[in-house]
Amino acid sequence: MSVKEQFIENVKEGKVLTHKCTSCGLLHLSNVYYCEKCGSKGFEDSILAGVGSIATYTIITVAPAGFEKYTPYAFVILQLDDTNLRISGFMSGITTPADLPVGTRAKIVDFDERGIIIEKQ
Amino acid sequence: MEKVCVLGAGSTKYGKLADSIGDITTQASVAAIDSAGIDPKDIKAAYISNVFGVADKQVHLGPVLMSNLGISDKPSLSIESACGSGSVAFREAFANVAAGFYDCLIVSGVEKVTHTGTDWTTTYFAYCSDFFYEGQAGASFPGLFASMARAYLTEFDATEEDFAKVAVKNHQNGLLNPKAHLQKSITIDDVMNSAVVASPLKLYDCCPFSDGASSVVLCSEKFAKAHGGDYVEVIGSGRGGSPAALQGREHMTTIPSTKIAAKAAYDMAGITARDIDFAEVHDCFTIAEVVDTEDLGFFAKGQGIQAIREDRTKLNSDISINPSGGLKSKGHPIGATGVGQVVEVFDQLTGKAGARTVKDAKIGLTHNFGATGASCAVHIFQSV
Repeated sequence: MSVKEQFIENVKEGKVLTHKCTSCGLLHLSNVYYCEKCGSKGFEDSILAGVGSIATYTIITVAPAGFEKYTPYAFVILQLDDTNLRISGFMSGITTPADLPVGTRAKIVDFDERGIIIEKQ
Repeated sequence: MEKVCVLGAGSTKYGKLADSIGDITTQASVAAIDSAGIDPKDIKAAYISNVFGVADKQVHLGPVLMSNLGISDKPSLSIESACGSGSVAFREAFANVAAGFYDCLIVSGVEKVTHTGTDWTTTYFAYCSDFFYEGQAGASFPGLFASMARAYLTEFDATEEDFAKVAVKNHQNGLLNPKAHLQKSITIDDVMNSAVVASPLKLYDCCPFSDGASSVVLCSEKFAKAHGGDYVEVIGSGRGGSPAALQGREHMTTIPSTKIAAKAAYDMAGITARDIDFAEVHDCFTIAEVVDTEDLGFFAKGQGIQAIREDRTKLNSDISINPSGGLKSKGHPIGATGVGQVVEVFDQLTGKAGARTVKDAKIGLTHNFGATGASCAVHIFQSV
């Protein structure tokens, strides 16, 4: 299974496959092959809970092709708990900013044709 | 390193154009050649910036342009760097003249997309994001900049009405630009009452999808002096990069590539942000102009919004930002935009900008990025 496939399988279980630098300890999403900080190629897998708080988001009403049937929906950026990592995804059921204040607790729940699916916790 | 000069510049009108992508590229190129007062046979090579040629059934545009200019034996190269393609093509041309490989080049940027309709244009543009994390999850470009706007509203003392003022200002400037796509005066209420595209951004916070082409002739100082006529000198050139996806940025209210490119350009020119008389910046959305003016060093972080509120960036105020009308009003044919900014600077510094002239301007800056600023180039120009 490719790294991307492993990443998706983890997302489907609400988890995030990350690469932890064996030299300096910095966490990266698993698509990264060299450490952003120290340049090392040595990584070990670290599987995190896909849980955190909303760092920022938007509610999309004019959608790209294929997403018209989902509008309005939110595109969110989730700050994962206790890490330097953020991850983006699709969130349904959001119609006004009052539905999703920045800082709202949320979690990764699935992966489908809408990419990474995130829900309020 | 050879000194590099812009000897001529031309653009089509920006907007919904009927002619083909090859035709409008040629029209802008002919305008630039005529402006430079050169013979096409003086041109040694062409740099073409374009993103979605496939949408108008024409990729490999270079040879089409060169054939139309009667110089089919001359080499050309197409460059894609999303909405920042134009400034990257300009940079590559600059580097080649500076290195002495060529003494005279043409840089032509073009986009032709409006015939595909809003849904498909939105979709094509989303391919410029880090698609696995962003486009695939339904993020449009308005949506990505709206995410930056939401972060800015959360972090700083800013309101949606403040963002609206950016659009009002740029539309005022665009009214004075006969080539502008949206020549229409608007009010803050017009912006606030326009349809929401991606909260908190509304339709009038967004630049339009535009067709258009822009072209400049770039040459060595020796070539410029030998040919006579007006020219401006390129005194600074810088490029930079940022994490491809917004999620990878340490701060979501700043664009790292802008800061890196600006520092390189200021260092090459031996000047600072305070020396800039006017700037054409990448205002694809109102939030972007606010962030740009901070990242370029014109205002401190979080103070760009205060500058807008106090009208400090209007035409002929503290620093004229986007005298052309910017992407917001002049329009955003994405492959052409970065070259079109140089056209505006050339016109400003050679006395051809008419009613929108920045008074007593000697030094102008262009700032153009790709996607959400994943790539960026900054150039600085000085009148001669």
